[in-house]
Amino acid sequence: MTAAILTTDESAGGHQQSDGPNHAGQDISTGSGLRLRGRIPLSVGIAFTVLAIVLAWSLFPDLFTSRNPAAGVPNRKFTSPGLNYWLGTDHLGRDLLARIIHGSASSMTSALIAVTIGVVVGGLMGLVGGYLGGWIDAVLGRVVDVLLAIPSFLLAVIVVTALGYDTRNAAIATGLSAVAVFARLMRSSVLQVRTSVFIEAARVNGGSGIYILFRHILPNAVRPVLSLAVLQFGLAILTIAGLAFLGYGDPPPASDWGLLVADGREHLLHAPWLVIAPGLVIAIVVLAVSRISRWLDQGRNQ
Amino acid sequence: MSATLSTAESKERLTPVRSGNRSPARRYSTYALRRVAESVLVVLLAYVLVFLVLAAIPGDPVSSQLDNPQNGYNDEEKAQIRSFYGLDQPILVQLALALGNFLRGDLGISLSMSLPVGDLIGTALPSTLVLAGTALVLALLISLALGYLSQRLPTGAANTSVRFLPTVFLSTPNFLIGLILIQVFAVQLRLFNVIDPNGLGSTLFAALTLAIPVSAQIAQVFITALDETAAQDYTEVAVSRGLRPGAVILRHLIRPSLLPTVTVCGLAVGELLGGSLITETIFGRNGIGTVVQKAVSAQDIPVLQATVVFSAVVFVLVNLAIDLIYPLLDPRLRSKEKAA
Repeated sequence: MTAAILTTDESAGGHQQSDGPNHAGQDISTGSGLRLRGRIPLSVGIAFTVLAIVLAWSLFPDLFTSRNPAAGVPNRKFTSPGLNYWLGTDHLGRDLLARIIHGSASSMTSALIAVTIGVVVGGLMGLVGGYLGGWIDAVLGRVVDVLLAIPSFLLAVIVVTALGYDTRNAAIATGLSAVAVFARLMRSSVLQVRTSVFIEAARVNGGSGIYILFRHILPNAVRPVLSLAVLQFGLAILTIAGLAFLGYGDPPPASDWGLLVADGREHLLHAPWLVIAPGLVIAIVVLAVSRISRWLDQGRNQ
Repeated sequence: MSATLSTAESKERLTPVRSGNRSPARRYSTYALRRVAESVLVVLLAYVLVFLVLAAIPGDPVSSQLDNPQNGYNDEEKAQIRSFYGLDQPILVQLALALGNFLRGDLGISLSMSLPVGDLIGTALPSTLVLAGTALVLALLISLALGYLSQRLPTGAANTSVRFLPTVFLSTPNFLIGLILIQVFAVQLRLFNVIDPNGLGSTLFAALTLAIPVSAQIAQVFITALDETAAQDYTEVAVSRGLRPGAVILRHLIRPSLLPTVTVCGLAVGELLGGSLITETIFGRNGIGTVVQKAVSAQDIPVLQATVVFSAVVFVLVNLAIDLIYPLLDPRLRSKEKAA
């Protein structure tokens, strides 16, 4: 079973595409951690810019909009996007752009929480299982199989139901539904590193198990896990938005991106921008994140 | 270079039994038995895991109805009703009882609708099967087209766009895709009617909504496999023999690239089942996803338990089938077995 479902959608997304031959020769690997590059591709530059803007929105929303996201001007309701209201207004006359900007902190934080849970819990499971092997590995492997067998969105839905509906819990649920993917990748990465000559050398030198695990194996095995984490950040935004769309996140007047789409759905016929604008913001951010993940990932497989 | 996890690991999977001296048939049956046993174990553990998660839900509709003073139950009646649903037992006893019933095929009784859960699933299943099946076919067609174009188009903007498309598909929330399809094709172009969710047009567009993210996953693996096959010597030989590019792709590239693609299709089943939740909501279909959603809002634990485990069973069965067929499909493994 372990081998059977070893490739998940998520990890598959991150490791496949090479960026074509044009960038191949320019990478300079520094062995561990970050790589230096001759030049950053234009699309990666754009992706970083998108992330920087959203990060700035989350940290300093008031710098980008002076309008109140929660209070509307009733006689301005359903204004189409234009010079005054760039992305239009909703059924209460609230500025959609202001709502998106003020919702970005919650959307970004929850994705961060989700990925942190996935990396820490899944990473530890993979690290311990891969390093110790034996029955511990077998038990952890079965847990991973079970987590993978349950469709991850369904898993997130029942976990958030058990925890209670709010955005924080939706983030935790999303993180738990991604644990298995991280555990598996970390395990296979540890297995690769474990047989290296320098690990043997460390052991001959008398290094203790724990010392070798954290000093030698973890730093060398963590690289692919980190680029998966970037990719998962994007997927977590999608899952959390999906949960918010179904009403399992914070209730209105919160303005999480998924919730904005759900709110706009009732007015799709006469005010389609209420759905399209927040939906596109989600898509663009996730696209930017996956571009960066792919960029980080290149070279590892070359 | 960009060797996928799937290829590396499917190779590991192709040599399931280590001992070399037994006959191929015996080795295969050992492998098959082990895979079946593993699958059964995973389903049972999934049942336990889901049960424990759902046990953490505070309250249930039975208790909230019972404790409502307007219903006027006295303590004896309350205790009777609780014991009918098994709610008076300790959690581990409840788990053992439920697991025993599950093994006998009894999924319990819905708390909110007083119907056997099996009937609920049975009624909702055809709609979801039609949706997921159509979506899978559409996803395969889309990925085949993207894969073909990725090899056929010369290096340049068009080729880059084809290769970029799966990432775009994967990054777009599927509720956005669904709502845009409704807005454009139902409202503007009037190609289908949203009022009739089971009509041909509605079903096709709902399936397309579900298919787009799934096709992205399949296409990514397929294109990588095609690229790897394209780098093989025999492909170069075929080209140098003067075979037309289209013929090379159809005859020499696609067939060997299908195996990793089959694996990823199995994994996509989970995506189809999970995605049906949102798709069915948007298109107003009554399927398993809708049952899950209603059960979530009613805190109907037996229904949630059954539907989630049911999804896991489907996922495990499909992947078991793929794993069992896989060694039979791959001629490389057959020749390896002859050699051994």
